[in-house]
Amino acid sequence: MILATYDLWAFVSDNQEELLDGLLNTLKVSAFAIAGAFVIGLVLGAARAHRIPVVSQLTAIYVEVIRNTPILVQIFFIFYALPQLGIVFDQFTVAWLSVMIWGGAFNSENFRAGFQAVAYRYREAGYALGFAPFSTFLNVTLPIGGRIALPSSINTYISVLKNTSLMYVIGYAELTTTSLNISNLTLQTTESLTMLAVVYLTLVWSLSALIRLLESRLALPESR
Amino acid sequence: MTASELAIVGEPDGANGAGPVVRVEGVRKSFGSNLVLDGVDLTVAAGDALVIIGRSGSGKSTLLRCINLLEPIDDGRILLEGDEITGKGVDVSRVRQRVGMVFQQFNLFPHLTAIDNVTLAARKIRKLSREQAERRARELLKTVGLEEKAEQHPHQLSGGQQQRVAIARALMMEPHVMLFDEVTSALDPELVGEVLIVMRDLARTGMTMLVVTHEMQFAREVGDRLVFMDEGRIVEEGVPADVLDNPSDERTRRFLRRTLQLPESLEELTVNEEGVEE
Ligand SMILES: Nc1ncnc2c1ncn2[C@@H]1O[C@H](COP(=O)(O)OP(=O)(O)O)[C@@H](O)[C@H]1O
Ligand SMILES: [Mg+2]
Repeated sequence: MILATYDLWAFVSDNQEELLDGLLNTLKVSAFAIAGAFVIGLVLGAARAHRIPVVSQLTAIYVEVIRNTPILVQIFFIFYALPQLGIVFDQFTVAWLSVMIWGGAFNSENFRAGFQAVAYRYREAGYALGFAPFSTFLNVTLPIGGRIALPSSINTYISVLKNTSLMYVIGYAELTTTSLNISNLTLQTTESLTMLAVVYLTLVWSLSALIRLLESRLALPESR
Repeated sequence: MTASELAIVGEPDGANGAGPVVRVEGVRKSFGSNLVLDGVDLTVAAGDALVIIGRSGSGKSTLLRCINLLEPIDDGRILLEGDEITGKGVDVSRVRQRVGMVFQQFNLFPHLTAIDNVTLAARKIRKLSREQAERRARELLKTVGLEEKAEQHPHQLSGGQQQRVAIARALMMEPHVMLFDEVTSALDPELVGEVLIVMRDLARTGMTMLVVTHEMQFAREVGDRLVFMDEGRIVEEGVPADVLDNPSDERTRRFLRRTLQLPESLEELTVNEEGVEE
């Protein structure tokens, strides 16, 4: 009986090196993808909010495609379809690239909404002081709109982190893949899943706590 | 506060420093089919406080916004210290650095403290060090009576305090002319005085000012000249007391009667769908 032999601690300690590697890979993929999604969201969100020609339209298409197709299809596309076109990435690159592209699309919407929520009168005050348009963006729209976008972009980063577990489908040895591969052999499925749930909960809570700390230092003073 | 404490007027660096600071020549401006400025001519001499009055929608804000290049004009030209600023190839941001503007809604940056609001543009554009900028900003906050509030955020300040910070913020760039667009209209009545006093003292330092306002006492006591605008045109201009006491144009007279600035008793007036009955 599997239930009779349930031993979470044995599962973790017997496989600690592999699991630790998996965890590190999860963290690495998440960090790359979140950093990328931040930059993509910021730049493309700004382009859309300011209706920069061409970039703005291309971003709209990008966002539509990503939001309206399953992320599994996107991962498979990068892993299986791109090589047919001669574009081959290693598993690690596919892992962070695919969740970054996914997160970047959602994040560009977060930032677009944040920048658009900045009342024109603040930008106008910037212009009247003598700020050029791009300086006005950097000194007025970005700090105000970025703060407005913060809560929704945090949710996107959390989703990015959880979505790294989908790399199971391409066999990349992040935490989920590592853990499930072990339990497929040892039949410790319940232990494996319990461990995964606990670790992801801890990661997401830590990430939220970290970002909430940041938020409380950054939030617009009136909403503090 | 004394006049010398507020002295901030830089040396005019225009082509002819002795000429008018602002010159508006035949300016026309439409929004779609709505003709908002219909051939405005205006000259403001150095050190003068020009008061602009007129009905809502008569184009007063648009005129100020055109002078600060926040709106492009369709026709005519505007000169700042002798330089044409409405022509092609003008560095718009540079022109705006010479023109200070204060808005009805204050428009302080909500994420910054009072002193950071005042120093931001000076640090980023005039490249003052934080230390230099803060020293000057504290002087300015002191002259508007707010040195104690330097570390407060806008939402912690009353409307009158916010507006005084906004004036200090504009003065920090050492503008050669200041534009005030109904800066007391959004304030509770008991907060209007503190802002008008700062503006009066600024006028006494010799700052050139264009002031759109409904405060007739301010117009009378502080204004050197007064213009009345109606439907995008200046229909009357003169010494404030003369225009207010003896308006020569019927439209000015009607405006002043409606805003109860003519010595008529409330008893004698009635109202219809248009407002005060003529
Ligand atoms: N950005 C704009 N777009 C379209 N119409 C405008 C705009 N700004 C002002 N107007 C119109 O121009 C006219 C004059 O407005 P404004 O200059 O604000 O008048 P005032 O300040 O004297 O009340 C009004 O009819 C107003 O609706
Ligand atoms: Mg107005």
